[in-house]
Amino acid sequence: MPALIRFEGGRMTAVDDPFTEIADDEGMAPGDVIISLTRFQAEGERLLAEGRSVGVRLEPAEEVEALAYDLPRIALVALAFPKYRDGRAYTSARLLRERCGYKGEVRAVGEVLREQAQFMVRCGVDAFAPADGSSAEEWEQASRRFRHVYQRASDGRAPAFAERGE
Amino acid sequence: MKALTANRLTDGEVVFWNQGRWVERFADAELFAEAGPGETAEGHAKAQPTVVIEPYLIDLIEAGELWAPLSYRERLRALGPTNRLDHGKQVEGGDVVEALQHASGAARSTGRVNLIKRK
Amino acid sequence: MYVYDTLDKEFLADRASEFREQVGRRLSGEITEDQFKAIRLMNGLYLQLHAYMLRVAIPYGALDARQMRKLAEIARTYDKGYGHFTTRTNLQFHWIKLADAPDILDELASVDMHAIQTSGNCIRNVTADPFAGATAEEVDDPRVWAEAMRQWSSLHPEFSFLPRKFKIAVTASPKDRTAAKVHDIGLVMKRARDGTLGFEVIVGGGMGRTPYVGSTIREFLPAARLVSYLEAVLRVYNRHGRRDNIYKARIKILVAALGAEEFGRQVEAEWAQIGPESDLPDTELARIRSAFAPTAFETLPARSEAFEAAKAADKALARFARNNVKPHKKPGYAIVEVSLKAIGETPGDASADQMDVIADLAERYGQNDIRVTHEQNLVLPHVKLDDVPAVHAALAAAGIASANINLITDIIACPGLDYCALANARAIPIAQDIAEHFRDQDRAEDVGELKIKISGCINACGHHHVGHIGILGVDKKGEEFYQLSLGGSGAEDAAVGQILGPALPAHRVAEAVDTLVEVYLRERSAGERFLDTFRRTGAAPFKEAVYAGAH
Ligand code: HEM
Ligand code: SF4
Repeated sequence: MPALIRFEGGRMTAVDDPFTEIADDEGMAPGDVIISLTRFQAEGERLLAEGRSVGVRLEPAEEVEALAYDLPRIALVALAFPKYRDGRAYTSARLLRERCGYKGEVRAVGEVLREQAQFMVRCGVDAFAPADGSSAEEWEQASRRFRHVYQRASDGRAPAFAERGE
Repeated sequence: MKALTANRLTDGEVVFWNQGRWVERFADAELFAEAGPGETAEGHAKAQPTVVIEPYLIDLIEAGELWAPLSYRERLRALGPTNRLDHGKQVEGGDVVEALQHASGAARSTGRVNLIKRK
Repeated sequence: MYVYDTLDKEFLADRASEFREQVGRRLSGEITEDQFKAIRLMNGLYLQLHAYMLRVAIPYGALDARQMRKLAEIARTYDKGYGHFTTRTNLQFHWIKLADAPDILDELASVDMHAIQTSGNCIRNVTADPFAGATAEEVDDPRVWAEAMRQWSSLHPEFSFLPRKFKIAVTASPKDRTAAKVHDIGLVMKRARDGTLGFEVIVGGGMGRTPYVGSTIREFLPAARLVSYLEAVLRVYNRHGRRDNIYKARIKILVAALGAEEFGRQVEAEWAQIGPESDLPDTELARIRSAFAPTAFETLPARSEAFEAAKAADKALARFARNNVKPHKKPGYAIVEVSLKAIGETPGDASADQMDVIADLAERYGQNDIRVTHEQNLVLPHVKLDDVPAVHAALAAAGIASANINLITDIIACPGLDYCALANARAIPIAQDIAEHFRDQDRAEDVGELKIKISGCINACGHHHVGHIGILGVDKKGEEFYQLSLGGSGAEDAAVGQILGPALPAHRVAEAVDTLVEVYLRERSAGERFLDTFRRTGAAPFKEAVYAGAH
């Protein structure tokens, strides 16, 4: 099981991941699962009715708006970064937090490198499956590298202009 | 005839393979008449990712008595920029540098034998 | 000038330390070249043919003397004693060692400079009118907005991994010195009848292999809403721009595919949802604006007797005044353009000594203000007319007094095959050839404004698509050939040039340009520039003359 780092209470902590990722061509596993949007649309109702926690994996081209109605029932949204250069999921994350008001876990999966830590945190991602083997400490350090930021984003950090106003 | 070249990781310097070492002057490069040994060397070079970046074989052609890279681009790499003759490897002068400067009949702008296929 | 406060400085320091660590991880083998490449590119560090190249950001092309001296010092210490000013008003060092790069970033940070976002698929250095704050034409100081955008775009969490690079230019003058219409976003400031300030928003311009002049998607965006609107544009682009093919990934392709109207509609819809919370508060805009408050100008007569007398006595100065000295908004002051296009030199290159001279002049005569233009020249925006002779003399002593701004020898050229790993052909020697050919200043002045732009490959870093005469290096069976195009412009009358005919070998290019000029001189009507004549006559007479001998 790949390591999972969770951002909680301002700290990065390595945690056990209770979820199993199920590919579209795999059989369903018991317990808490992460499935694709397509599969969720087909099987989501049933799985939820069984009382399990269900997470949905969104590919970069899939728009978060497609999930808007179901969000309250979804335990986590896993945003795929098939290549770390593919930045669409940053927008997805912000829209989930800022436009849909989603409070559940937003997880980054795929080519997730510590170089992206701060960007991801700022866009509202709060769980990470790093592909570069970084530890929770390294991830935390990377996510706090910059003492100041220049924009408002999903993390509520005060941008430079607000700090200056204080 | 081929030679094996790369840029050195720490400073970007153009380097050439010679019997397991990297040398800075094209004049000192090992020349491969056969495909096999060249590719073997390339394999070794690729296993040195903290020494060089992207090693590749280049084609050579005869330039007078000597060999020169086939492509214009590779000649410039072996020499330095033509707008600043006081910069780069060409400053040292010598037979091989002169042969490169006067080599004619370039056959393509990128001499990266393998990269052509990749593109 | 905007002065960095503690926050800005700490931000740069954090960036430099991050990069030092990343270089360490690369050198130790912890990360691969592939992973590192993207990291170094976010810090402007490329691998070129002979060495690494470091592209230093010069936000909106503005420098003070201290910064220019630091660039000179870096050039001496870490490079070969010179730097190359680019069409995006940045500075490139062409002989950098990876192992030195972290130290260089520290050096830069010590004078509030950096290389952030000078490469990579992010929002690049924002450029602005090099005459900002000095020209009477402008409705506002575009630097205020450029600085606001610099901050907003720096490590933007959502927009640092766009489909492709993203370039923004802003001007507040009807005369466009920024090539706004060939940027991903061009912003042209306007003042409405009721006095409010706003931007005309032009998107989807660009060069590369599919050149486009941008389309206006909003005639008037209230200035205070700039950031939220940019966010909407970038968001639509980030979500829908193509990522399957890097040649089709720029915003221009998306705008062309959707149509400007539909693209604009999507932006407006997104913008409506974002709302004004994303905009900069007025207090921050006021803070930035105060940094660009006009420096104390003296009250001077509009005419300087000393300058007039010096011009009458010195032909070289008179020529310099005709071509390089532009009107300033304040009486008794002038904008002085410093050409980096001395005949026979590399366009855009400046030696460390020349940089120091410019720094001294800026300090002594120019209110400590220096600008870089997208045409690869420098500007001293605030010089007293009385001081122009002294400035001219000092420039002449340093070999940078060429009186050729906007003339045929003021050529833009990218580094081309002499340096660039992507090139097909050399660009610099062609520029040198043409400049030599038109060494006769009287003839060059008679020809008048003529913009030649040369790129060593279709990426078009040398803006060849928008040259009055554009020259593109191509590879014909390994030989360097050059394709000419005519009638392009990157200014307010922007247009993409038309290809004239088959590419020519290197040794025929200068001669062909000469032929084009002769046709122009023959065909022109009073007051017409080369571009105007071409637009009136069309390509036929030019084409006929250049290919006359061909069969
Ligand atoms: C190592 C050197 C360089 C490399 C590898 C490089 C790479 C590129 C590439 C790939 C493009 C095409 C991008 C696209 O259309 O998507 C491009 C465009 C451009 N580059 Fe460069 N470039 C280099 C140097 C320069 C220099 C020296 C300048 C300024 C003189 C410059 C300014 C530009 C500009 C203005 C564009 C054009 C147009 C546009 O935005 O569409 N670049 N460059
Ligand atoms: S136009 Fe081509 S050759 Fe010139 S700098 Fe750009 S990528 Fe290099």
